[in-house]
Amino acid sequence: MQKYTASFLGRDCPGVVATIGHILEDSGCNIQEVTQTILSGEFAAIFVVAAPAADAESLRTKLSAGLAQAKVDLSVLVRPAIQGQWGENLHCEPFVVTADGPDKPGLIAAMSRVFARHGVNIESLKAILGEGGANHALFVFEVMVPDRVDLGRLRRELACEGQTHELRVSVQHRDIFEAVHRVNSF
Amino acid sequence: MLSEREVISTLNMLRNEHLDVRTVTLGVSLFDCVSHDLDLFTANVKAKLKRYASQLVAVCNEVGDKYGIPVVNKRISVSPVAVVGAPFGPDGMVTICRALDEAAKEAGVDFLGGFSALVEKGFANGDRALIESLPQALAETDRICSSINVASSRSGINMDAVSLMGGQILKVAQATADRGGIGCAKLVVFANIPQDVPFMAGAYLGVGEPDVVINVGVSGPGVVKKALDRAREAGVNADGARMTLLDMAEVIKRTAYKVTRVGEMIGSEVAARLGIPFGVCDLSLAPTPAVGDSVGEIFQTLGLSGIGAPGSTAVLAMLNDAVKKGGAFASSSVGGLSGAFIPVSEDSSIEAAATAGLLSLEKLEALTSVCSVGLDMIAIPGDTPATTIAGIIADEMAIGMINHKTTAVRLIPAPGKIVGDEVSFGGLLGKAAVISVPKGDSSDFIDLGGRIPAPIHSLKN
Repeated sequence: MQKYTASFLGRDCPGVVATIGHILEDSGCNIQEVTQTILSGEFAAIFVVAAPAADAESLRTKLSAGLAQAKVDLSVLVRPAIQGQWGENLHCEPFVVTADGPDKPGLIAAMSRVFARHGVNIESLKAILGEGGANHALFVFEVMVPDRVDLGRLRRELACEGQTHELRVSVQHRDIFEAVHRVNSF
Repeated sequence: MLSEREVISTLNMLRNEHLDVRTVTLGVSLFDCVSHDLDLFTANVKAKLKRYASQLVAVCNEVGDKYGIPVVNKRISVSPVAVVGAPFGPDGMVTICRALDEAAKEAGVDFLGGFSALVEKGFANGDRALIESLPQALAETDRICSSINVASSRSGINMDAVSLMGGQILKVAQATADRGGIGCAKLVVFANIPQDVPFMAGAYLGVGEPDVVINVGVSGPGVVKKALDRAREAGVNADGARMTLLDMAEVIKRTAYKVTRVGEMIGSEVAARLGIPFGVCDLSLAPTPAVGDSVGEIFQTLGLSGIGAPGSTAVLAMLNDAVKKGGAFASSSVGGLSGAFIPVSEDSSIEAAATAGLLSLEKLEALTSVCSVGLDMIAIPGDTPATTIAGIIADEMAIGMINHKTTAVRLIPAPGKIVGDEVSFGGLLGKAAVISVPKGDSSDFIDLGGRIPAPIHSLKN
């Protein structure tokens, strides 16, 4: 058995996951990890599977054929699963960075460039539009900050970049969000 | 992954609702500093405060930055000076007060509390010396706060101390007359003073407390008000039924939970970084003069024209209780005062009600029977007789003694001012119009002195 990552992207509708699950089962795949989301009617999912297929292309062909037969409009990308993850050997702290202000092109590019420069990994990114009024955008970056990063400097550079683009930036450790909003049993 | 609601709600609490950690207060015991030699004692005190407090401000700022929640005030509380400085006379007490002021300034904290005496059952030599030194000590220092506990439910009310404090409050006001009598803003008379209050001016480190400890005071009247505003705007509860006071109490409780969690998290981390045990989180709705950071505004949100209108005591009772319930669920280390404060000059809405004549001293006294702490930051005429001040203190102490709760009096007899004049104390202390005190003469009653005995602890009806 080989480990592969299969990504699916296309129109969302009831039965999409059932179809994918059925095709994977028929292909002898065992699903090991999965994440799925919907954005503007588009379905996107990543499955990490253990499959008997000899290579990624043969598995992709098999999955595409199954989807076509089931008349489900999804694109498939299959790659051999990655060995090891970013940050495995780093001690990182989770932070939540928000940036909000008038929406315009280039805001995510500007902010993410600062993260890239500091070796900070974005684990989740969400854009919430219209919450603070028309044309108002709020970007929520959930990031992992390695211990070696100078947090004060990162904070200053993010604020500076935000100011350039009329964005208000806040940087907070993720724990505060959990503490305030979630009741844990320990 | 966090939900949109979690992120937006937290951002709103910070940006629009004045969520902050109002104070991180480092408690330092001075019992191991005692000496019969005044110079040696003050040197020991300054050395110990330097040892533990030198990093306090920097660490608070670092932790505040990490969580994006400001720690507004960093403070120190110490063992009651009347006890640790018991061998010294009034002049010695003034010297100690100056040394503490210097230590507070060196540490960069805005207030240091504990220039205190516990005299609910009688005076020791140190207590008398400290109380006698108050006018000079508070006039010659900037950052020292003093509290005098004159009553408790176990011991009754020390009426000699009440009488003495009536006079001393006037003398402190006169000694700081050039600054509107500001010395009185740093002097509180208590019944049932808690040993672990992080808020000023009542903070001191009780004798049962650890050698050093971090206590945290969290506020958040603005957060509670905005949560109630949203609930009232929605008009219906989660079940779609019409919103009632039961739902409002639930909103307050849940909001208090959130605010307390913030305080506990930040306090614990500050304590861990300083290598000092974490003590308590005191969730008190402590207003500031800023609009939107007011306890008084909550009364309006709950349907009253303002604080002082009929129904105010009921609203405050509900508010105070719901705050305690939310705080108690959020942390097993809730302590201090934990309730709602109604300091007149420090709350723009309460101050406006008092100035407009909608909130009298009598109504304020009634309110204090259901909240923490008491008659707080109230400017009264500068020519108020000492016996009248003592009478007001006695009434307030009686409420605390009988109801087994903390009550306090922080009155400012503004020198040279009459009813209607405005006094400004600046900063967080705010401004207030001088309000009238109850008519009538208490002098003969106060002159009787002695002690009002402790109340019976059974037959509670």
